[in-house]
Amino acid sequence: MRFLIPFLLLVSGAAAQLRVVTLPGKSPLVTFRFVLTAGSAVDPVDKPGLAYLTAMLLANGGTREMTHKQIAGAMFPMAASVGAQVDQEMCTFAGATHVDNLNEYYKLWRAMLLDPGWREDDFRRVKDDAINALKVGLRGNNDEELAKEVLYQNIYRGTPYGHYPGGTVSGLESITLDDVKRFYRTQYSQSNLILGLAGGYPESLLENLKKDFRKLPEGAGFRPRPKLPALIEATRMVIVDKDTRSVAYSIGFPTPVTRNHPDYPALLLATSYLGQHRTSGGVLYDEMREKRGLNYGDYAYIEYFPRGMFLMEPPPNLARRSQIFQLWIRPVEPPTAKFALRLAIYELNKLIREGVPQDGFARTRDFLVKYVNLLTRTKRAELGYAIDSIYFTIPRYNEYLKTALASLTRDDVNRAVRRNLRPNRLIIVAVAKNGEELKRQLAGDDPSPMIYNSPKPAAIAEEDKIVEKYPLRLRPDDIKVVPVKDVFQ
Amino acid sequence: MVLKLLIFGCLAAAAFAAQAPQKIFPYSYSQQDLSNGLRLIAVPTDYPNIVAIYIVVQTGSRNEIEPGHTGFAHLFEHLMFKGTEKFPAEKYNDTLKRLGAASNAFTSDDFTCYYTTFSKEDLGTVLMMEADRFQNLQYSEPEFKTETLAVLGEYNKNSSSPFQKLQEALGDTAFDQSAYKHTTMGFLKDIRDMPNQYGYSRNFFERYYRPEYTTIIVVGDVRTKPARELVDKYWGAWKRGEYKPAIPVEPPQREPRANHVDWPSPTLPIVALGYKAPAYDDSTSESAALDALAFLAFSANSDLYQKLVVEEQKADVLSGGLPDHVDPALFQVTARVKKRDDLDYVRDRILETIKDFQNRPVDAARLDTVRKHLRYSLAMRMDSSDSIAGILANYVALRRTPETLNKLYEQYAQLTPEDVQKVAAKYLVESGRTIVTLTGPSPDSGGAR
Repeated sequence: MRFLIPFLLLVSGAAAQLRVVTLPGKSPLVTFRFVLTAGSAVDPVDKPGLAYLTAMLLANGGTREMTHKQIAGAMFPMAASVGAQVDQEMCTFAGATHVDNLNEYYKLWRAMLLDPGWREDDFRRVKDDAINALKVGLRGNNDEELAKEVLYQNIYRGTPYGHYPGGTVSGLESITLDDVKRFYRTQYSQSNLILGLAGGYPESLLENLKKDFRKLPEGAGFRPRPKLPALIEATRMVIVDKDTRSVAYSIGFPTPVTRNHPDYPALLLATSYLGQHRTSGGVLYDEMREKRGLNYGDYAYIEYFPRGMFLMEPPPNLARRSQIFQLWIRPVEPPTAKFALRLAIYELNKLIREGVPQDGFARTRDFLVKYVNLLTRTKRAELGYAIDSIYFTIPRYNEYLKTALASLTRDDVNRAVRRNLRPNRLIIVAVAKNGEELKRQLAGDDPSPMIYNSPKPAAIAEEDKIVEKYPLRLRPDDIKVVPVKDVFQ
Repeated sequence: MVLKLLIFGCLAAAAFAAQAPQKIFPYSYSQQDLSNGLRLIAVPTDYPNIVAIYIVVQTGSRNEIEPGHTGFAHLFEHLMFKGTEKFPAEKYNDTLKRLGAASNAFTSDDFTCYYTTFSKEDLGTVLMMEADRFQNLQYSEPEFKTETLAVLGEYNKNSSSPFQKLQEALGDTAFDQSAYKHTTMGFLKDIRDMPNQYGYSRNFFERYYRPEYTTIIVVGDVRTKPARELVDKYWGAWKRGEYKPAIPVEPPQREPRANHVDWPSPTLPIVALGYKAPAYDDSTSESAALDALAFLAFSANSDLYQKLVVEEQKADVLSGGLPDHVDPALFQVTARVKKRDDLDYVRDRILETIKDFQNRPVDAARLDTVRKHLRYSLAMRMDSSDSIAGILANYVALRRTPETLNKLYEQYAQLTPEDVQKVAAKYLVESGRTIVTLTGPSPDSGGAR
């Protein structure tokens, strides 16, 4: 099927085509996006974090004419800023301003992206922040995000996605300002760029934007060929050992299903049924939290969704050429750690074996058809999604998904589930205290009965008898305990 | 979900002729009271198709005044999803799913808020289901006990952040009687005891889930009259309550306090300074002046931030402010430093900055930039019906009307440099101060360099 993409302006240059997505409207806010389709996957092997540092320096450093302090002073009264997000395939800069301040803001936006100041002291600060984001933030402050990123790292080891988009501590330490300038020179080109503009802007702004950003070089930067993640031959587990109260899990495996894959709508529906992000009513949420009180929530994903504990909806512009299927099991009390893991995998297996039931199918389809409107209810989000649609060469996301859902049948969904999901050959990551002790508990098939603080209905008690013995198929050799100080080093 | 209010004041609107007397909230709205005391605020917007309903219950952790029962407002937020006879939890969830609605809730120190965003044609269904659970909530003791474990799970997932622990220690050290002594999650010992408090939970519902504590905010593609008719139909029979809590009054603090938290994992050291500050008040300039002070002294555009974070690079986090509260609360300044040896240095620069603000009035032009920032920041956040409803919820929690927002911004408009100096001298004083530090296990910090 071919789709028209009417909202994409292809601006012809001499050789290159600058891609600009526009969503004009009446809003007094004007929203800007600069999406570079080259992210941390193009980091040199010995410099993981280079794409990240480059973007952060542009967003948080001075320009040739203005210091960081002067920019902060100019942005403050407008309540505006330029934010950066770096992922494997994309570096995104986003900003917005009230139309009253449009000219002044645009000058800053343009200078920050096209005329950076490359000051050593800005670089030192941004580099420190990046290192601390790993050493203190990711390792120290957020066990759930830690488990998720260690999962990604283990699944993609040896591929261009093999390091966290924020880099590694040693990689960041080795990066110089010259490396950053070189990355900017080679990657920040018109052919790698999708610009976005939305809201109540005048036509002249669009013209200026096109003219200004054509100053970037035309050519594409170096782009590694995507390499598939290695085959997972048997379930493996990594326990990140740190002093913490509870046990946080992330579980997953790679899948070729991305947004433009024929199985995407079906698998999205199945995943929403199993564990729609941070809502009640998903199977995992109901079985683990509502019925058994194991933790605060349990969800399933087929697209990368960082910072999910702070966000109700996924940020756009995290498009990837390879994704994983992932279960997020929020921290559980240590005595229930084995049971909780068994239950999560049991539910996954049940979904594959029995499929999505008819009522669950209808309910989830109805949900997604309307929910997709909520995802794009701000111009900011609409613009981000429109850019992702260009990346995947699909129509606007709402239209694409609604069309696909309209013709989807329960059989389609369950066929896609059987084709793409599996309850074995998983990577399991836990963040826990006393990692060796947890390893001892999880290796081997000893039962792990639950003791509840209140009586449970017979159906749950019956099911628990199966779950408490559900084979995890983990031998001691399959489980590696890693001290937290070694991850992302 | 527990709301972390680290940003304060906030938000703003359409045309900004400087100093114009026009109200900051740009939408016409209606505010109507039912005879049972329930209040409806309806705000039609031009964002098409979508409607957001935010139901504010003016009950938060400040209402947890009985020993052993901290965390109950938040627990109750969880219990409200347990269902009724007509809509058991599963049916409630199924219905919301079919509507494609985004729905959740949060609890803060002062209020609990239940919010749903959905398509306009489903307004009646949502109002009917919400009315049903507010009036007819049912849950068994086993269900209650299981839900208390989800709350413990929430505490557990929060507990990996040292900032969470620091907030617990700051409130606990600074306050003696105020309910702000505990965080919204509650003391861990009380969370552990929750499974045994089924009877008390029923009591809590009877007291606070009453129309006189509740305001329904409806924003979006909606007309006022049909919204009012639906609210009358579904909420009209709700019975008014009688309970009025005796919220304890914090005695004056006489001398500075300090505390320290040993964090078991590597972290950068953190220092937090809390000053006893007044309850939210828009009839005087004080709350507005303290907000302005926070921006002038501690925002990314302040001299201190530029010195500590950008030039000397000794700190990587610096923020300050007084979140709006119903009762007297803490004006808090927080800094994270890169080396433990610099902890005292950074603390002393914060203290020096406060002294400077006490000693001389701020530059009037800088105060103008703060005013401008506040107005544009509000305007930029009003980019969807649900964000407008979310903004209003914070002000409705304080004074039960969107006019609160207009009044606060009128105070911002009239602020003088002397007002800012006056509140710095009156409230940011040594005798009302509590300093809490947090450090990791090793003498050198866990961070870069």
